[in-house]
This record gives sequence, structure tokens and C-alpha cells, in this order.
Amino acid sequence: MKNIGKIVATEKLPTTVDDFYFWTDKERIIKPFDVVKVEHIRNSITFGVVEEISHFTDSPSFLAGYISSDFGSVEHRANTERIGMNYVKARVVGNTEGIFTPVLDGHLVSLADEDDVKKALGLDEIKNPLPCGYIEMYEPPHSIRIPVHFNSHFLIGPEGAHLNISGISGLASKTSYAMFLLKAIQNQYLSLKNESESVAFVILNVKGKDLLAIDEPNKELGKQDKDIYEMLELDPKPFSNVKYYYPYSDSFPTTYAQKDDVKSQITLGKGYQFKYIFEEDKDSIDLLFSNVDDPTQTMESIVNYIATGQGKFDKITNWKELLTEIYEHTKKGETGKDKEITIASWRKFYRLFRKTLDKSSIFANRLGDGEVRLQDQIMNIQKNDVYVIDVARLDEETQGFVFGDVMRAVYDLKLGQIERKESDIPSKIIIFIDELNKYASKEVPKSSPILRQLLDITERGRSLGIILFGAEQFRSDIHDRVKGNCASYAYGRTNAIEVSKGDYHFVPPVYKSMLTRLKQGEYIIQNPVFRSLLSIKFPRPIYKQFK
Amino acid sequence: MDRILPFLEEQVGGTCYKSYKYCFDEREVPSVKYEENQSYTLQRDRYGETDTSLKTTKDISYTSKQICCNKPLFSYFLDGSRRIYKIDDLELGRKIFPIIGGQIGVACCERKSPSTFKKALLEHNLVLSLPSEADKDGRNSDQFFNSITQKINDLPKLSQYNLKFSKILVYPSKSLDPGEKFENLGIAKIQDEMIDCEKKIVAELVKKNLLNQDNYLLKDGSLQYKPMKSGDFRELSKLKSNYRCVVGLSKHFNPELSKDKLGKSNATKIAKLPLYHRTPAFMYQTDIVSTEVHFCIWYLRIRDVKYTESPFSGVVKVEKVLVTEDEIENGLNSDEVDLISANIINERNPVAYGSDTRWANHLYPVYLTEKYVKSQYISDLHFLNLF
Repeated sequence: MKNIGKIVATEKLPTTVDDFYFWTDKERIIKPFDVVKVEHIRNSITFGVVEEISHFTDSPSFLAGYISSDFGSVEHRANTERIGMNYVKARVVGNTEGIFTPVLDGHLVSLADEDDVKKALGLDEIKNPLPCGYIEMYEPPHSIRIPVHFNSHFLIGPEGAHLNISGISGLASKTSYAMFLLKAIQNQYLSLKNESESVAFVILNVKGKDLLAIDEPNKELGKQDKDIYEMLELDPKPFSNVKYYYPYSDSFPTTYAQKDDVKSQITLGKGYQFKYIFEEDKDSIDLLFSNVDDPTQTMESIVNYIATGQGKFDKITNWKELLTEIYEHTKKGETGKDKEITIASWRKFYRLFRKTLDKSSIFANRLGDGEVRLQDQIMNIQKNDVYVIDVARLDEETQGFVFGDVMRAVYDLKLGQIERKESDIPSKIIIFIDELNKYASKEVPKSSPILRQLLDITERGRSLGIILFGAEQFRSDIHDRVKGNCASYAYGRTNAIEVSKGDYHFVPPVYKSMLTRLKQGEYIIQNPVFRSLLSIKFPRPIYKQFK
Repeated sequence: MDRILPFLEEQVGGTCYKSYKYCFDEREVPSVKYEENQSYTLQRDRYGETDTSLKTTKDISYTSKQICCNKPLFSYFLDGSRRIYKIDDLELGRKIFPIIGGQIGVACCERKSPSTFKKALLEHNLVLSLPSEADKDGRNSDQFFNSITQKINDLPKLSQYNLKFSKILVYPSKSLDPGEKFENLGIAKIQDEMIDCEKKIVAELVKKNLLNQDNYLLKDGSLQYKPMKSGDFRELSKLKSNYRCVVGLSKHFNPELSKDKLGKSNATKIAKLPLYHRTPAFMYQTDIVSTEVHFCIWYLRIRDVKYTESPFSGVVKVEKVLVTEDEIENGLNSDEVDLISANIINERNPVAYGSDTRWANHLYPVYLTEKYVKSQYISDLHFLNLF
């Protein structure tokens, strides 16, 4: 491949085990994340990933530049340009012979070919490959495009699990990337002959209607993107085995989806409305108050009081009665036997509970035709099923309630709390939730049942087969234990304030500024099997897009 | 016998004193005799240029602006330099002579476009300067010293680093005049060798047909080469046709020695030279070179005096060898003098401000060539440790 420069080792900037510098022509276009190779001792090749590129001239000061332009004449054009070159800092990622002594001054640096890049980044030895995007490197005529694969054992277990995606809303296309990976996983498991390994997906649609037609093709997908799907050996078809769950409402479900679409889904037997029935779901009331600050744990006490049927709560059969009974406790002299719960606490509980109940129709007395309970559905989830649960139009508290309830159901299913043949249950259930910050931010009360559930999943889910794909705008907001337990990270476009935070300390400065400029469809990913951060791209979604 | 000095001791039958080795250029450089003699004979009855009406100074700024979009006249830039070392003292008979070592570098760089500046030719030689006394027989000195050079180059110490001495230069072991030193005689030999290299490179450029009316060579320093007793390019008078498209540019000159056509000191006029003005061109011959060679010389201010540290910085001395009979008779065509001046003015930027104290008189391509030459030297420690 083409030689592009030579190593420079100086007193101040020597080459080290970790990095090296080389000069290159100022017209040569290379970019951060490009791989270069260097001739090293014993006929070995050391690979480096470009980190920083600087332009350098012999001008000792800015003043010399000013004087050189005829003492500040902007029109002046000199006969000779100041001598200059680019020097590049690269980080060592490997050596063909395992020699990690610093590369030597004056040695040739060249562009790498496809095999070299795979070798350099450790992409040639990936077991259990799962497409996660592709790398584009160099400028024509030397440009190369290489598919990149995760080791699926490090994404969805058993070696490592959970993925965290961060990036600005709209610009980072977090949902699209998560869906791209989910599609790749479904694709892989559909073609798998080993029946002991299976997967199912639970996706929460928290915004708009983007995820409410994922089994319908994207008719606007261009040839370029189709070629990329082909290169990544992905079936260019939308998701299969998809079921949609909409929050019940008497006239039409509480959703942003179009009436006709929902109706047609219901008619085709893949769309359902979900409800919460008091007798079966009363244990989940705690989830309604997960974001309420409860330092004295009085809310928790009330939930416990109701759930255990203390006072007159054992006779209640529906939500309306429950509300009335709670109201009774808000009156003076009606605190029941439990003197520890003050009237003020009951009043607060009543106020919050009534607000939720008034806003949403999902809290109902019984199920009608085509109506389901989410817990029942989760308990019966089949291999390769994709459940899309639409909570976009629900208020924040109810959204949290549904999410917490779904997680709890998945957890119970995988813990074997129900009577179902072990081999029928999908061995892995992947939950995707956007706006993770709502439930797992550092500001969420520690007593939050949803946070506790999330911590349980991220800490124990890998062995149980529950995998969390979480997305949020700002990674720095997320609870340390939730993000710390993720094996893989995907960084989309973010802002300068975010990259200045501690979470990004390990990221070299140039990559940080790149993070603020990434385009849609571009991500920087981190996975234990990669030797360094990788800048990847992924194609447009394969399922229907709403404008 | 790994090092050069013990080997040399044996070859010349002398004793080395193992004196302190150092590089002259880091200390006060001894003034070399011939460099002082910069006087020249003005041709009172002749003008240096065809426009004889020019009595004061001439503004070149308009011409320089007019041609600023054209391809520059100067495509090649030449600079030579040397680095000289005191290696040791050698006792021969009852006398003590210094052993002088040197690195000579002469480079010519080519500018193809504003952004393409590359080496065209390079000479980098390692030399030794020994007293003629070193050859005890003195019958066939050339053969003797050539043979020592060859043997030194065969020493493992040199072949290990792939280094070679190009020649041993011989300085006279005569009785010294008061104030004269053998060191200076040795250094002068190395300086001569450098000048010879410069002439060789000019000859090579001419041979390759690289110099023509659109591609001039700008040489750093004066063109006043004195005739040498040895070397392939002894006399400038025989080579002057090589210098048809060569301009010499001196950053420093002794203003006291510059005289006008009437032989009066020109110093005040040069100090007061307005920006982008040139003096009339004078014609002169110099004894140093040869009476057969006529030079045309003028001064040009390229930096505003308000930015420079002395009235003479910012002024360069321009020299051109007069080649044709017509030129010798009538002087250089004034249009050519203006064109050369305008092109030099257009070379004024970028500046080496902050990197070189002589920035006001330096031209960047020449500065780059100088930097290139120096970058080719092996380090002083490395050189001294060969001995």
C-alpha cells in the first residue's frame, strides 16, 4: 500500500509502547480512526490508529506570520509558501509479531489494506460475529470499506451484556442504531439451527410512532443502503413476528399512530390494547411513585399497606374503589390502625394516584375483546417474538409504571416464577428503552422501584438472559451502576458540555471533538473485543419511516 | 585501530596531543584573511546598467506589483555552508600543527510552485585539513594524501556509519606572518573547497540546461570568487558564461566599502534608500577575482527601515556577472536590473522573523536552502567522536 510518511521520534515527543508520531504531506488526507502501519524490527508490522493530526510550519510565532504577510496585508501573496507539514499522532494497537517496543525514527508509515485493518483492530478474530456497522477509511483511490462485527457473546451474553447508546435527540439516531442491532440479532437467531439458543425482544416506543411499523418495509431505502445490508450479510427485510401493544382507551388507543394503521394491526391479529386490572396488578402500584422523592418511605408504607390488604383494602376489587378508600384515609380521624402514616402522606398519595388514574384509561375493571394484560403477554412471549409496547402518549408516571411492570414481568419469567417449560422460554430477552435517564438517572430517588429493577437487570441480567439496550441523551446523567455494567457502548453525536464531563476523560481530545460533529448514521463504539474505540457507520433503517 | 587519530599518527609519523576537540562555529570564528579584502575597482567611465540617466534611486514597487502574478524569475536557490572543527594538535618534526576537520554542505533547491520546494542538488562532504608537512617526503603529495583518505575511509569506524571523507585538504606549513595562525590557513582551505562545490553545482545546473531566462538561480552571498590554486573550477573568468542566469545576493556587506561611481562612500545613500528602491547599478572589477570579470552591483531595500534594527538591515547587495561583450561595454540592461530587483522584492515574504536574527535581509527560499544544508550535517558529537 501507499507510503505516506515516516516516523519522527524527538527528545520531547519520543515514540513509546503506546503511541508514535509521523510526518506526512500537508496535502495528504487522513482522518482520526484511520489505521496506519509501520515497518518495525524483525520484519514485523506495527499498527496504529490515527488520533491527532497537526499542521506545523517553521514559523516560530504568530508575529512571524503577521510580518510575513507584509506586516498585516491580507491581500499579500508570497512566491513561496512557508515550509510546512502535517504530523500525526497515532496510538499503537498491535504488532504482527507481538513486539511492542517503540517504533523507530525514520521508519516508513503506510496506509493499510483491508486485511491489515482487520488485523490491526482485532476484527479478524471475532467469534460469534454479529454485524454492528462498517468502517470507511481513506480517500479514493485508496478508500476501503470493512464490515464490523461485535462478538455477540459480549453484547447479549453470556460473556458480557447490555448496551448503552448515548447522543443528542434527533441528530444521533439512537433508536435507529438500536433497531439496526436488534434486526441483526433477530436475523442471526432466525437462521440459527441450535434450538437451545433463542431470543425475544421487548421494545418500548417512548416517542412518536417511529417504532409502530417495524414489520413493514422502508420503501425509500436506496440501493446504496441495500448494498450495505448485503455487505453486512443482513436480510434486507423488516422485523418479523412483531406484536404491537397500545394503551387502552375507550374510543381509540392512546397513541400517536394513525387510526387506520392501528385498526389494521388489530384486524391482522398483531395489534392489541393493554389494560391494568386491579386484582391482578395491584402489586405494581409502587411503580407509579418511582420518581417521587420518598426519604421517609411513607409512600412505600402506604403501597405496602394497600398491597397487604390492611385496613379495608382487602375488600377492594377495582381501581375506583381503591381511590375512594384512599380518599377515606385523607379525612381526619380516618388513618386506620397504622398511626405511623400521617394524613398528610395519605393526601399526597391520593393526589398523585388520582392524577394518574384520571389521565389514563388503562386502569380498568376487566379485559374486553382484543384487550390484554402486558404481564400475561410477557409471560407467554415466544422465541423470536418482537413486542413493541407503545407508551409514547402516556404521561410520565404511567410510562414509568408500564416500563417497570414490563421489566418485572420479564424478570419473573426468567426467574422461573411461572409454570412454563424452560425450553419454551426464549433463552434471552432483550429490552430496549429510550430515555433511560427518566428511570436510571443519578437524580432518580434511590428508593425508586424502577431503578432497583434496572440495577437488578444490569447486574444479574447477563446470567438470567435479560439484556438491556438503553439509550439516553447524556450518558453522564445515568446511574454509575447501570452504565458501568454495560459491556458495550455506542456514542452518537453529543455536545461539547457533555464531552467535557468525567465520563469522557478516557476519550482522546480529537475524538471528543469528533463526537460533537458526528453525522446521522455515524457512531463511535466500544466493546471489550475491540482494541480501541471504533468509528463506524450504519445504514438507514430497514423498516417503515414516518416523515 | 578504530579511530582516525591513532591511524593518522602512524601514517604521518607524528604525535597527536589529544587536545580538546571543539567546533569553531560555537566559538568566536577566526577572521579569515581573504574575507577582509572586499575592495574593488570601480569602472569610473562605465555605468553598470544601460540607463545612464539614473543618478539617484529608482522605485521598483510598481514593477514588483506588476509582475507579482507572473511566475517568479527565481526557480533555483543555492547556499553553501561549512562547519569546522579543531580536531587535535599534531607534532611533526619540531613544529605543532592543528588538524582541522570540516563538514561542507552545498545545496540547490528548486521551487516548482509556491508549495513545492525540493532539493535539486546536494553536496555534503566530510574533509580534513592537514599541513603540507604531514607528507614527509613531499614528492607526490596528492598521491600521499589520497592514499591516506582511502585508508581512513576503510576504517571500520567509518564504514560502520557509512561515512566517507571526500578529501584531505593541505594547508601550507610555511613560516607564519605576525598574527597569522595555522588554524586559519586550514579553515581557508575548507572554505575554498566549499566555494569549489558551489561552482560545481552551478556548472551542473548549466549542464542540465536548467538555468535560462525564465529560471534564474539566486545564490546566497557574493559571486566574487577568488581564483584558486587547485580544484576543478579554479577561475571564475573561465566559467563566467555559467553565470548568465545567476544572481548573487549578499545579506551583509560593509557599507564603508561600497563606493559610488565617483569613488565616494555610498554608505549614507544606502542607509537612506527608500523602501523598494534600488541604487543605480555600478560596474566594477575586483582584483580578488580577476580583472577579466566584470560585475554589476546595486543595492536594494526590501524592508521598511521603521521595522529594522539598523538602517542597513533590510538592504541587500545584488551582484551579477557581466557575460557578453555588450554587457561589459554598456552595462546590464536596466530592464533586467529592474526585473531582478522586482523579483527579489517579491521574494521578501515569508520572513524568518524569530528564527534568524538576519531576518530583515534574508529571503525565505534562501533561508530554507540554508536550513536544508544544515539539516544534512551529522551532529558535532558524532563527527568529533570519529577521531
